[in-house]
Amino acid sequence: MTARGFAHNLRLHLLAGAVVASFAVVAARLVELHVLDREHYLSQIQDARHRVVADPARRGDILDARGDLLATTRTDLTLAIDPWALPEKIAAQKFAARQAAFETEQRAARAALADLLGLPAATVEAAYAPAWKDVPVTEDNADDAADGRVRMRYVKLLEGVTEEQFARIQALRLPGKKDPVRIAGLTHERRFRRIYPHGELAAHVLGYVNKEDVPSGGVEAFADPYLKGLAGWREIERDGKRVELAQFRQREVPAADGWGVVLSIDCAVQHIAEQEMSALVAKFDPAKATIIVSDARTGFLLALANHPTFDLNKFGTTPLEKQRNIAAADLIEPGSTFKIVPLAAALNEGLVTPASKFDCSLESMVYNGKPRRFMRDDHRYDHPLSLGEVISRSSNIGTAQIGMMLGDRRLYDYARSFGYGERSGFPLGREEPGLLADPARWSGIDITRIPAGYSIAATPLQIHYGMGVIASGGHLLRPQVIRQVLDASGEPIYSFRPAVRRTVLAPATAEAMARMLQKVASPDGTAKVAALPGFEIAGKTGTAQKLIDGRYSERHHVGSFVGFFPASRPRVVISVIVDDGHPPGGGTAYGSVVAAPSFRRVAEQLVQYLDIKPVAAPGATLAALAAEGGRR
Amino acid sequence: MHTRTTRAFATQIVLGSLVALGAGGGLGFAIVDLRHDISVSANTARVLDQRIAETERRVAEIGGLVATGQSPEALEQRNQTLALGLVPPAEGRVVRVGVSVTDRLAANRKAEIFAAETGQNLVPVRFNLGGASR
Repeated sequence: MTARGFAHNLRLHLLAGAVVASFAVVAARLVELHVLDREHYLSQIQDARHRVVADPARRGDILDARGDLLATTRTDLTLAIDPWALPEKIAAQKFAARQAAFETEQRAARAALADLLGLPAATVEAAYAPAWKDVPVTEDNADDAADGRVRMRYVKLLEGVTEEQFARIQALRLPGKKDPVRIAGLTHERRFRRIYPHGELAAHVLGYVNKEDVPSGGVEAFADPYLKGLAGWREIERDGKRVELAQFRQREVPAADGWGVVLSIDCAVQHIAEQEMSALVAKFDPAKATIIVSDARTGFLLALANHPTFDLNKFGTTPLEKQRNIAAADLIEPGSTFKIVPLAAALNEGLVTPASKFDCSLESMVYNGKPRRFMRDDHRYDHPLSLGEVISRSSNIGTAQIGMMLGDRRLYDYARSFGYGERSGFPLGREEPGLLADPARWSGIDITRIPAGYSIAATPLQIHYGMGVIASGGHLLRPQVIRQVLDASGEPIYSFRPAVRRTVLAPATAEAMARMLQKVASPDGTAKVAALPGFEIAGKTGTAQKLIDGRYSERHHVGSFVGFFPASRPRVVISVIVDDGHPPGGGTAYGSVVAAPSFRRVAEQLVQYLDIKPVAAPGATLAALAAEGGRR
Repeated sequence: MHTRTTRAFATQIVLGSLVALGAGGGLGFAIVDLRHDISVSANTARVLDQRIAETERRVAEIGGLVATGQSPEALEQRNQTLALGLVPPAEGRVVRVGVSVTDRLAANRKAEIFAAETGQNLVPVRFNLGGASR
């Protein structure tokens, strides 16, 4: 008998063959799956499990000069219902008793959901009513029957649900239950939403981002390249329950959040301006009005308030008319506020001195060989007026004579130098260039009208920065509103510097003008109500008749007061422009009536807020005053 | 022992297969375990990401609420609701002083402290100089 191993030869061979064959079968199947049918299965996986998920970037914040949030981004949720999910889940319960219990639990959960969302229970129940949607038969592949209708799987329940509300929904527990209840068919979609914590404050400066994430107007639109950030994306795989399989994340490009923007607008100054605007509107009921406050030395805007205005969080219900930034987009005749241009020009050219006298009792004067009739003054003067009196009493006749001394071309050139007739470069609000015709197109009487601020048109911003030329010592400054750009971690990456557009006047001329403009707010001037004792208010009133149907109206006026203080070392420039105000008890809406009081009240509050020191009385030194500047 | 016979060869195949199965199985288990660990780690990272995002969302929401609560309009409303009677500072209510503020505050404080002692509850002190009596 031959010796045998641990198994019979034949059986051993069979076993070995079976093992080898098994391995061969497994290997063949592996080759089939991984090599031959690879593309087929990969495409199935791609379709079923593979997704490219967008990762939206968070829009940067807009901050005021002191770091208060003016615009920020938060998430909110849109809740929706899949009405068919409830009957499907009820049907999935095995026993009738379980079905009844599940139905009862879900009904209670829906009632609690309605309560949490502040909706009537009937609204939630209505969203759960199964409904059908008609579709072309060729596209009806969502359910078994190609009958031209599919189940409606998405019914929007509520938009704008806060994270806090949603957390409470997720933690919703029914009485007697330990675990939170899952509300059948409730789905949510999370998205970024822009909010404006201060509502109406600085609405025309900020602009807004609409529901399609498109910025509209203001800083939101201008600084969009900084603010919007860069959306990211990632490729993911999901399991059968649509939960991401994090280990299969393939490629990922993280979102880069938007940069922050710091404005020169100061919330407190803006609030002062808007509060004054509310008081002004309540008293005079104007068609439009603007209050502008800027830093006299840098040109940066501190506040810009318009009437009418709107709540940034309710932009959808605001007419477009109210959304227009009238400070930059509307044209008005500047009236007497323009008189600073010919006077400063004549001083700068050495044609006149502050002591020069003008006969303001004349009715006409010969210019270019022809007699030109002056616009009438409100008062008759029995003595020649000095240059200072011409401006403090706002004499049309005196200003026209100075305009004639300058001549068409020089008057025009200076007006352009002061920023009239060209865009200032203000980045917000579709700025208009204004109207200032070339002297070649002037009519015969324009030389008497233009020096008084008629026959030209300007935006409130142009008028404001025109006055800023004198406040800044002779420079036309660029209107700016953005101070800094911050990266996502809040570190400054770019700072905007004050920008001088051009030098218009010699410093001595600007100083002489400032001294003369102080007299406007003196007891002899047109705006004594603008005076603030101890603070050297310099400014100019303006009252322009409105051109209605081709004729200057006697009843509709644009009243304004544009000025700065303290005159000897200007800190702020303030403009108050009131279009078609109605003084109580009737009367003309003079700038001294409708605008100058507002100027004084704004200035009075700015003295406190910006800690502007009073100017020393004659004999006292500024240094001593600064040392004594404490308050009780 | 026969090492070159057919049977021995078959034995070696069977043994080799068993060893390969064992090794392959062990390796498979190790790989499965490794992949499980990777999956757990990835899911933990994902959950942490979600929690960070959730926290950031809450921070942004609370930041917005704080900013709304601190807006000048809201503060004014609160001033009215709580009847605090706060008013904006106005130049007319400010007294600017021409002396050292520190000295002035000290003088005011001293005046407050000693004001009580100048009241009517004090008994006038009479000094009898040199023991003389009146």
